[in-house]
Amino acid sequence: MSAATTTGRPPAISVRDLAIGYGERVLLKDASFDVHRGEILVILGGSGSGKSSLMKNLIGLYRPLAGEMLIDGQSIVTARGDTRAHLQRKLGIMYQSGALFGSLTTLENVRFPLDEFTDLGLAEKNLTARMLLRQVEMAHAESLMPAELSGGMLKRAGIARAMALGADILMLDEPSAGLDPITAANLDRTILSLRANLGFTFVVVTHELTSIFTIADRAVMLDPRSRSIIAEGKPAELRDHSSDPRVRQFFNRQPDAITPKLET
Amino acid sequence: MTTAHAAGVAEGTATIVLGGRITASTVAPIWRAALETLSRNPDHPIRVDAAKLEYVDSTGIAFLFDLRRRERSQGAEVQIENLAPNLAALINAWDPADFAQTYRRPPAIGIAEHVGRSTGQVLAEIQNMIAFLGECTAAMGRALRGRDPIRWGDVVAVATEAGANAVPIVLLVGFLMGVIIAFQTALVAQKFGAVIFVVDGVGIAMLRELGPLMTAIVFAGRTGAAFAAQIGTQKVNEEVNAIITFGLPPVRFLVVPRLLAAALVVPLLAVLANIIGVFGGALVMLTFDIGFLQYYSELLRAVDATDLILGLVKAIVFGFVIAAIGCRRGLATGAGAAAVGRSATSTVVASIVWIVVLDGLFAVLTSRLNL
Repeated sequence: MSAATTTGRPPAISVRDLAIGYGERVLLKDASFDVHRGEILVILGGSGSGKSSLMKNLIGLYRPLAGEMLIDGQSIVTARGDTRAHLQRKLGIMYQSGALFGSLTTLENVRFPLDEFTDLGLAEKNLTARMLLRQVEMAHAESLMPAELSGGMLKRAGIARAMALGADILMLDEPSAGLDPITAANLDRTILSLRANLGFTFVVVTHELTSIFTIADRAVMLDPRSRSIIAEGKPAELRDHSSDPRVRQFFNRQPDAITPKLET
Repeated sequence: MTTAHAAGVAEGTATIVLGGRITASTVAPIWRAALETLSRNPDHPIRVDAAKLEYVDSTGIAFLFDLRRRERSQGAEVQIENLAPNLAALINAWDPADFAQTYRRPPAIGIAEHVGRSTGQVLAEIQNMIAFLGECTAAMGRALRGRDPIRWGDVVAVATEAGANAVPIVLLVGFLMGVIIAFQTALVAQKFGAVIFVVDGVGIAMLRELGPLMTAIVFAGRTGAAFAAQIGTQKVNEEVNAIITFGLPPVRFLVVPRLLAAALVVPLLAVLANIIGVFGGALVMLTFDIGFLQYYSELLRAVDATDLILGLVKAIVFGFVIAAIGCRRGLATGAGAAAVGRSATSTVVASIVWIVVLDGLFAVLTSRLNL
């Protein structure tokens, strides 16, 4: 938050020598990067490069194969029980599909974490939830059920729910995937204004170039072939000055070279 | 370093002092105490001193906004002072008028409307089921006459899962049915010295009624529900739409193989249930001094091919109807994961109801035809 003092605090998220995968299949190895407070870090990479899996490891849904992940200086890998739940509550997560609970209205979805974790009265919780919904421009849909919402609305309601418990790190999985350009641009604007006004730290998984150039302070790029981080830096610099052809190809949206096999 | 001490509310001069961090985990008592201060001092101006406030999150902002938006008599307004400019800007950006209405959950529907809607749904479902059965029969007819290719691979896969894998449970249920009937009737028959006729009872009951009936009930719970869940998931994932937009009828792809497999497999399972049930009866009769040989010759006297065939016809019909209900409920699945569960549950319920109704129809029919 803007009034917070940040000096002397560890990075919001710190990842060291991380290896992730499923069983024998390694998706990513030797990954190290930091997410600084108040920054918007984008994790990008082609399909199948392990972006979403990396995020699911970061939020503690899966156990990494090796390495360390620190949230606010505390390891989420070794944490158990209450410590782990406490660390997870520092993270607000928006899942790809919004993951709203189907039996609750939009407002009740946003209110859900407040219902579970605070002693606030109903009127206070409703006020908080409605303010959150207004911040993501969803005030008009507060009494609709998730089944009645469009894809973009689900995602925005998902962000409001992620913010409800005072998490200062928000993780968004593919926020603009499948959205029309206007809705996607609105969502980018929402993300930027949340950061500017409330000082949130964002980790955004995406491969939408427009969105990356609009919101990202820094980008970490994953590569499915080498299964590692191949670039880290400001998106515009990576696009224009990266020495790695794979990075330039990604940012300039160039197709793979046609293989001779296809030409014959 | 951030301090984690909760903000204090000092009262008396109608001043509220806020300090430290106000977050979702600390805000509740502060909010309550502040509202209490407001209501205890309806005619005094309230000074909120936020000089020592270090940090607020979304709930904290809602709290500050709630204090500011309270309607107070003139001269008794709430003044928030010494608030960091960025926080002040955040709170002043909200318009109390936007939150004037209280939130209400959309009202649940009344009893009359509920009854009306349910009746409409039941009528529509009956209509749909009849249309669907017609569609299935037509598709089966086309498939069996060779007009449409039958996907034998699917039929075999479904038959394996629904048939072969169901053998243990069908054997267990059939065996216990035979044992139970034999034992219960034998206890009564013993009083009249008519134990030998228990064999007739077990044979006829298993072959005509219980073999097919219990197999069908197991099949409904095990396979009918699975059909609904599989097709329902495909519906939710838009796989069914993909089939339709290829210009292919989903009935031919998804339903016909399941109908065929069910109509083949349920009678086979029923035969197994019959055999093991009769065997279970024989074991019980040993304890009533009726040996296997005597049991066997009495059984042959009591039952004939009609009993067996009648049972098998029933089993075929049950299998067809259960598979049709499962597929129909699967294809009618709405949106979301809960809808898949509802389809599976309603399949089991509807199947069992239909099995019993059809069994009753068969009973009437066979007595009229003297079978």
